[in-house]
Amino acid sequence: MERRRNKRWHGKYRMLLMAAVIGLTTVLAACSGTSKGGSEGGGAGSGGAPQGRVTLKVEVFDRGNAPSGMKINDNYLTRYVQENFGDPNNINVEFVPIPRSEEIQKLNVLMASANDVPDIIFTYDTGTYNRYASQGGLMDVTELLDEYGPNLKAFLGEDTLKYGQIDGKQFAIPGRRLVLGKYASYIRQDWLDKLGMSAPQTTDELYAALKAFKERDPGDTGGKVIPLGMSVAPAQFEPLLWSFIEPLTEEQRYTLTQKLGSSDHPVLLPGFKEGLRFMNKLYNEGLISKDFALDKDKKQLWQDVQNGLVGAYSEDAGELYFEYNGTYKNLLTNVPGSSLTPIDPYTDSEGKHPKPGYAPNAMYIMIPKSSERAAEAIKYLDWMASGDHLFFMQNGVEGENYELEDGIPVLKADAPQDVKDRLYNYGDMAIIVNGKYMGETEKNNEAYIRQTPKEFHDVMRVSVNISNSDKIDPVVLPRPIEAEARYGSALADKYDELIVMTTMVAPDKFDATYESIMKEYMAAGGQAILDERTKLYEESQ
Amino acid sequence: MKPQMYLGRYWQLYGLVALPIVYFIVFKYGPMYGVQIAFKDFNLFQGIHGSEWIGFEAFGEVFRNQEFFKTLRNTLMLNFLDLIVSFPAPLVLAIMLYELKSGWFRKFSQTVLYVPHFISWVIIGGIVYQVFGTQSGMINNVLTGLGLREIPFLTEKGNWLATYLATGVWQSAGWGTILYLAALTGINRELFEAAEVDGAGRFKRIWHITLPGLKTTIVTLLIINLGHIITIGFERPYVIGNLAVREYSDVLSTFVYRVGLESGQYTLATVVGLFQAVVGLVFVLGANFISKKLTDESIL
Repeated sequence: MERRRNKRWHGKYRMLLMAAVIGLTTVLAACSGTSKGGSEGGGAGSGGAPQGRVTLKVEVFDRGNAPSGMKINDNYLTRYVQENFGDPNNINVEFVPIPRSEEIQKLNVLMASANDVPDIIFTYDTGTYNRYASQGGLMDVTELLDEYGPNLKAFLGEDTLKYGQIDGKQFAIPGRRLVLGKYASYIRQDWLDKLGMSAPQTTDELYAALKAFKERDPGDTGGKVIPLGMSVAPAQFEPLLWSFIEPLTEEQRYTLTQKLGSSDHPVLLPGFKEGLRFMNKLYNEGLISKDFALDKDKKQLWQDVQNGLVGAYSEDAGELYFEYNGTYKNLLTNVPGSSLTPIDPYTDSEGKHPKPGYAPNAMYIMIPKSSERAAEAIKYLDWMASGDHLFFMQNGVEGENYELEDGIPVLKADAPQDVKDRLYNYGDMAIIVNGKYMGETEKNNEAYIRQTPKEFHDVMRVSVNISNSDKIDPVVLPRPIEAEARYGSALADKYDELIVMTTMVAPDKFDATYESIMKEYMAAGGQAILDERTKLYEESQ
Repeated sequence: MKPQMYLGRYWQLYGLVALPIVYFIVFKYGPMYGVQIAFKDFNLFQGIHGSEWIGFEAFGEVFRNQEFFKTLRNTLMLNFLDLIVSFPAPLVLAIMLYELKSGWFRKFSQTVLYVPHFISWVIIGGIVYQVFGTQSGMINNVLTGLGLREIPFLTEKGNWLATYLATGVWQSAGWGTILYLAALTGINRELFEAAEVDGAGRFKRIWHITLPGLKTTIVTLLIINLGHIITIGFERPYVIGNLAVREYSDVLSTFVYRVGLESGQYTLATVVGLFQAVVGLVFVLGANFISKKLTDESIL
């Protein structure tokens, strides 16, 4: 008892100290959490707002590639917007970053909270836009557009605006897409030369080239050669699969196409199974990388191309030439004497090279119903579409970022890095258009081509021409298909699973695997979409 | 003693536990009102109150969905196998470490062993791909260099399962040993000395003294793990899994992610979540009950 009384002081203090430390730590942790979040958003012009000034929140895609010294919500272009649009109109423009790879998930979460959601949001995913519209979450901007957006309306045109209308009401402002070609294919010219073969112009010729790459290894890879580059991104397998689709009647195209997400999928079209069978053949003969199914973002494919292992592959037309990509540049550096030639090898039964193209609309720009800044939002988009604002955002300063050649801005290759970095994400800032806007189609295409470094302009032009030849346009329906909005994302996953599983299975198990996964696909919503589209077709007759 | 007297005398202890209690109330009990979403046709913009009541209709839709049963099966299977493989591992490691004579080597091993616990699954996924990939993975490069056939660790279902479980052991075993080692220090050293004098060998000592001394800890952890058998983390199956092994790697958490967050079908996702909670509760109570009857140890 005596001992306890003496030690009581120490014991008491120790307990007190512990409790205080724990309390303090918790408070500090909570504070640092919120202040971190606060400072991120407060970069561009918060604090000390003058009288009557309002804040307009605009979404921006965060690809995690901000150059040093710049933040996604505080950089050259955000300051340009604030100085030229925000300040004259007494508006604080705040950019809200959303990670590109999870934009839909993040958007879903933001839409649930009326306070945090930006005033301008956007997505490429048709299903998401349709869902928000049908659930009553979007503002009908028809009148606001007339009042505050005359330049915007003129810029986009009725054809583009149509994509954002439901029963005549404007629920989304679709951006205008200028470059409609999507895919081209590429092959190692130096390997062809070494083998004495010419560039393949049919599927059979491509197959022969792939076999030769594997058996004779012209690249001296020591058995590590990957004749056909492949991943689970659509760019790698769409040209192949679509070339197997048999000629369709208008009714077949209308009813059997399945629009999952924002692009048409050929899963129910006649001939698709044969396309999968061809992929199965290629895989089992060792012409496709054994790990292609793990490559969700093409990173492994690009590595393999740069390291000189890949013989041929399909890709978004011209992607490998762009500054930010560097795949081709690195290949040329790593493997002296190498070169990739653009080709269009996949031929269908009519000798054509069908491949999907883009719809003429770009992103769906939307204003949440709960937003109080709808007028300011339309004003911002209208400002972007007027004068030389769009041109500046896409091209920068004449003499510093670009020089005019034949009236088309060409990026200065020798501009200092920080000048080049000014426009690092212009595509995500200039949301009303997809592609460099010059006024006429010819010029738009040329501007697109000249975005690549000068030494690649010629092959870029060939790539763009390939992407436009035998281009398949998306099927346009008068109103959204409810089943597509509901099941689209899950079915798109199932589609990828179908391709991977049927490709990788042993040839004698191909049919059984195909049947069983197709059954799951139809049960998971494929049948519902088919039924709805068939009904819609019958109604329209 | 009257309650007020407890408060007065031990207020530091109450203060210490107040914070965790507040945490549980705010983050675990509070959100329970959101369970209603499972019974409503949830409209993001009308909120929970404004959405229409549909009763058990969504449950019907979920239980009719083939994908749901596949993910349920996978969740149980992965967790059960994990239990068999990962549960004994920390125990064995702890006993081995405890038997070590060299103090510094024990401390060094402990530190090295529990470092993987702090590596996020996203990074582990990247490492796994570099090590186990078929085309260009480290192990397969060595195999093909020796002239052997490559082993598809990640793209063949059975192999993937083994890889998944093995990485789980690597990641969690070291951390689990800490708990057991702490419990082991609570065993009276005199028991060991007495047993040694009586002629008991190392294994006999482990069997008769160490293990029984750990009985309470083992049973508690087992009950907790059994209660969690219906829940499964999201990152691990999502990152380590891939399209080729969907058959095994698709679990309830990835299903909810796809259906709930990607497709915005919150009602269905909540139904699955509620289902998991109810089943988990049944398992915890059941495991606790069985343990009480068989070994007199229980936590409730």
